[in-house]
Amino acid sequence: MAPIGASPDAGSSDQEIPDLELIKACQGGDSRAFESLVTRHRGKVYAMVQNMIRNEADAWDLSQEVFLKVWKALPKFEARAKFSTWLYRITHNVVYDWLRKRKIDVAGELDDGILNQSDIAAGARTSPVYQARPDEALQNSELGSKINRALAALNTEHRETIVLREVQGLDYKEIAKVMECSLGTVMSRLYYARKKLQSLLSDEKGTN
Amino acid sequence: MKKEQTEELFVKWVDGRLNDEEQNQLDELFAADPKLEAELTGAKEVTAVLQSEIPKSSEPPYPDFFNSQLMRKVDLEIAAQRPAEKVARWWESLRWAWAPAGALALVLAFFAGQRMSPQGNGGVADRGVADSSEKSEELPNVYFAEKSLTAEVIADADGKVSAIVVEGIAAISDDIDFSRADLTTSLPARYSQSEERRLQ
Repeated sequence: MAPIGASPDAGSSDQEIPDLELIKACQGGDSRAFESLVTRHRGKVYAMVQNMIRNEADAWDLSQEVFLKVWKALPKFEARAKFSTWLYRITHNVVYDWLRKRKIDVAGELDDGILNQSDIAAGARTSPVYQARPDEALQNSELGSKINRALAALNTEHRETIVLREVQGLDYKEIAKVMECSLGTVMSRLYYARKKLQSLLSDEKGTN
Repeated sequence: MKKEQTEELFVKWVDGRLNDEEQNQLDELFAADPKLEAELTGAKEVTAVLQSEIPKSSEPPYPDFFNSQLMRKVDLEIAAQRPAEKVARWWESLRWAWAPAGALALVLAFFAGQRMSPQGNGGVADRGVADSSEKSEELPNVYFAEKSLTAEVIADADGKVSAIVVEGIAAISDDIDFSRADLTTSLPARYSQSEERRLQ
């Protein structure tokens, strides 16, 4: 059988092949089909990871890890769930494993997160100076940066629920599957996360 | 109404997913608390802002390198799995034959043992003295420090069994008490001196 994912960057012609067909080819050992699948979904996975951990370099590495896990787990994938839901589930696991490991790694070390820049004297030589990249500088002047700060202030569960619902557009049941929790928990998290975001963004309005 | 139910109503209203019955329930709550609708409207606006400002998809930096790096890892994964799979399949395909092969080996071992056991001599092998001219190379050489000792090597015709008979050894007296006897031997002076030097 000829590999069906022969041109992973082929664009429109590649987009016509349904995910399931590519998955079947991957399950038959066709790594080119897998590359097509990666090209199609890497943006969503990277955005999801980036929104969760807010670190570009780590998001890149973790996205790689997600897809490597996908490749390993693909032989067991059955088309009962949507591929995207399954993909987000793996992404969720990779991100939570990373966060757990990071929590262990920083235990006992000085956590930069607990240092508030405003608590450091302005003239102090050790005062951290953050140099924004040009694109970041542009973004900082926009609403996007306010939203990013507000999202960063949410706890991990609330942030993930918001990102899955508002950004990725998953329905409540899909979110419950990805996060392995009940529908009621999803509703509750969404309610409180939205309330908290509303409060954080109105605070931002007040301070600016 | 339970807290969980009201939370669900609020979430669904923000997402525009209420059915008629749920909408009626929420209208009652709006009527009872005039601030509630304004509060939920604010949540709806935040949701709209999030959806418009945060991209659903964002290409990782260096997307081509992302793919090539990943596919290299996948290739390594494939290469690592292949030999293991082959070995597993090879063993698995022969697993059915293990029991019959074991039984066959036992039967063969039993018959082989019967054929090889010695007959008519009560289990004692014949013994003979090897011809020194023919077997001299196969017989062991025996050396003694005492020149007064002699040895005779007796071997069977195949050279598989041999015995060494030593003559001239002084008889050990029956009254020696080994537990009390001084069994240490003193080395000749030149050996003991060199040994001392080595130890120093």
